[in-house]
Amino acid sequence: MLNKTKILLAYILTALLLLILFVYSVNTGSLKISPVQLFKGLFIAYDKDVATVYDLRFPRIFIAMLGGAAIAVSGVLLQAVMKNPLADPGIIGISSGASFVSVIVTAFFPLLYKLTPLFACVGGCVACALVYFLSWKSGLSPIRLILVGVAINSMFTGLMSAFNSGTGSTYSGAASIVNANITQKTWDDFKILVCYTAVGLLFSLIVTKYCDLLSLEDKTVRSLGMNVTVVRLIISVIACLLSSVSTAVIGVISFLGLIVPHIARLLVGSNHKVLMPYTMILGAFIFLLADTVGRTICYPYEINAATVMSVIGGPFFIFLLRRSDKHNG
Amino acid sequence: MADVFEIKNLYFAYDANDVIKGLSVKIPEGKVTTLIGANGCGKSTLFNLMTKNLKPKSGRIFLQNQDISEMKIRDFAKKVAIVHQYNTAPNDITVEKLISYGRTPHQKFGISSDRKKDEEIIRHAMAITNMTKHKHKPVSKLSGGQRQRVWIAMALAQDTKILFLDEPTTYLDIRYQLQILKLVRTLNEKYGMTIIMVLHDINQSLYYSDEIIAMKEGMIFAQGKPENIITANLMKNIYGVNPEMKEIDGKPFILPMEVSYV
Repeated sequence: MLNKTKILLAYILTALLLLILFVYSVNTGSLKISPVQLFKGLFIAYDKDVATVYDLRFPRIFIAMLGGAAIAVSGVLLQAVMKNPLADPGIIGISSGASFVSVIVTAFFPLLYKLTPLFACVGGCVACALVYFLSWKSGLSPIRLILVGVAINSMFTGLMSAFNSGTGSTYSGAASIVNANITQKTWDDFKILVCYTAVGLLFSLIVTKYCDLLSLEDKTVRSLGMNVTVVRLIISVIACLLSSVSTAVIGVISFLGLIVPHIARLLVGSNHKVLMPYTMILGAFIFLLADTVGRTICYPYEINAATVMSVIGGPFFIFLLRRSDKHNG
Repeated sequence: MADVFEIKNLYFAYDANDVIKGLSVKIPEGKVTTLIGANGCGKSTLFNLMTKNLKPKSGRIFLQNQDISEMKIRDFAKKVAIVHQYNTAPNDITVEKLISYGRTPHQKFGISSDRKKDEEIIRHAMAITNMTKHKHKPVSKLSGGQRQRVWIAMALAQDTKILFLDEPTTYLDIRYQLQILKLVRTLNEKYGMTIIMVLHDINQSLYYSDEIIAMKEGMIFAQGKPENIITANLMKNIYGVNPEMKEIDGKPFILPMEVSYV
């Protein structure tokens, strides 16, 4: 049994690690500033270096943290709804659905820039609904769901790169979504991300009780007076919102929504009231870590955070797949 | 004696095949009523229709004079608790936490309006099912019989007068089977609950029921006191076996000796 001390310890340590990583990340790159200089520059007197870092590096770091939290939480929600520990917004195609729609909007309706996340959300929901309907056969078999998801994912990814190549990559905004590039992000991008994800994250905290109940058999949940279909729908929409909006701003990130909830469950258990907030912190940490590693590992060149995630996530996914095989006999 | 359920001219079909064919029945209040019948006779379907898991093609089901199709699922859950045959729970959930889910119909967004009452009822549910000493254990560490008692306790935490059980003894060995059936009797006799269950074992349904409803081909074949309706003839008709009838303590006992092929 997981006791309260262990859970508290996990929370404190992860938050501390996130803080350390944040300071390290701020201080990494061509401009070096010490934490003291940073503090002074931010709160006391103007400092040219700090101002530069504030404009260029801060948005990226905050976007990485918030996006990481949102994608990880989206993973928890999807896993609860689909009763499938392998569900991940990247793998089952929600992100690429969202991404495809944002690419189209960015390319053809640049004036709707601020609304891109909303359109992305529609794309994500469509992809999610497709996965549901195509894999539903008197119940959701975990493996069938993943297979259908992979197919949907490839389709949207294909459409997207076809569009990108077909237009000679002339739409730079679109190309940055395709490549999941977060280097050039500004405070404006961050503001957009905050508006939508704050709502999603808040809702995810409200539905924790329902996520808990969904871990029982559907019939049992119904006998407790809950309309399972409606609950599923609501939680799925929140999950799609979170992952789609993140995708619209930072691009498709695979495996993050898979790895983070899995580690989180090992550390704090499966009670969603505890799991959900912890997943936010851990998601922020892991994705910022991926971004920071990508920035530093072969400096002055950079590796995409999405690429780093895929390299780490692939083997991890296979590991989980093999483990779940064992569990199901 | 009042009836808790009244079913009028019920029809149900999967695709084109009628599974329930114009069934009408009344189920008495304050009794243990058991549904029996061969595989595919429609007893599980009837169970699911009565518990709002399926919708009838036509006909009506009344719970205390109220049509259940017009009841909100939450209101239904405040009156009727159900223990399904097959259940799963997360590995690390504790007995107490799982039982507390039984309070769900009385809560909104998982927030309780009367925490004291909730705790009292959960404590009571654990006491009746003899699970109090295990309350901090994870459900995954329990034996099959204990686990079944947890699911019953969860249903009891709904604080209803009516309890449905779908083959509550199926996955258990004989000792746990008897424990569960004794518990069912206690719930009826001591706490006045109306019990409606599906059982496979004829002798157990004979011994533990007040009323038996025997089904055949989507219809009621016979209904009444166990000793009155369980006869060699009934066994032959609904199960296609030729039993030997014995009498133990004034109650019939069945030894199904040979199968009759029709």
